[in-house]
Amino acid sequence: MHSHYHSRWLFFFILYYFPLCSTYWPLFLLFFYILSPIPYCISRRVVDDTDSASNACKELAIFLTTGIVISAFGLPIVFARADVIAWGACALVLTGNIVIFGTILGFFLVFGSNDDFSWQQW
Amino acid sequence: MSGFLDGIRCGDCECNVDWGERRNTIASIAAGVLFFTGWWIIIDAAVIYPEEENFHHAYHTCGVIATVAFLMINAVSNGQVRGDSYSEGCMGQTGARVWLFIGFMLAFGSLIASMWILFGGFVVPQKHVVYPGIAIFFQNAFIFFGGLVFKFGRTEDLWQ
Repeated sequence: MHSHYHSRWLFFFILYYFPLCSTYWPLFLLFFYILSPIPYCISRRVVDDTDSASNACKELAIFLTTGIVISAFGLPIVFARADVIAWGACALVLTGNIVIFGTILGFFLVFGSNDDFSWQQW
Repeated sequence: MSGFLDGIRCGDCECNVDWGERRNTIASIAAGVLFFTGWWIIIDAAVIYPEEENFHHAYHTCGVIATVAFLMINAVSNGQVRGDSYSEGCMGQTGARVWLFIGFMLAFGSLIASMWILFGGFVVPQKHVVYPGIAIFFQNAFIFFGGLVFKFGRTEDLWQ
């Protein structure tokens, strides 16, 4: 879990460049970061059949998660094209995105693939 | 910390990725990328050209109808349409087929309407700013293909 926390700190250092540019609009991305694991977690809790290869609820959750990830990349680009933030700041935010989503994905790959997903693990 | 590189084995990845099982996941991800990219394209165009004269606000209807069509197409499973699912649902097999038909009509209609908007609303009048028309076209194209990928890219076989 330590690498998980260190990458979060790296992200926060990247994101705190924004007070230098005196704009806080990119902090709306935090909404997307918090929202991104939720569909998959809900689908894991609601549907328990790991036997079947197709699972409509899990696929819907993956679809929504992909949408949240795309939105987290699209929002800074739209901000930069509208000159709300500078392109350099946009590049920093996109790098932070990659780190954060890589962390979340790595977390789910390492810790999430259990048959017995229960809250007791926490 | 000594010896922390001892555990690294290069090229010994035991990722037994069965691409058959992953097909549904890959199709869902591809459909998600397409669908949401389409919406972010139109958000970008709306942010850059907020005035009515550059981007007539009624043109947003096309993307909304395309999204409704996406939801309609993917709301019915192939099993319901074939008639070999356990429960009949609200309307039965015929109802599922009518629903799917209307969904596809709306999807194709919105795709054609986006082309019409691009050419009839932006190219032919030789408007100074054409980007909103292109954005509408790409939005609807991406949503349409995202819907197709989500519908037909996934398999519903329970056992493979």
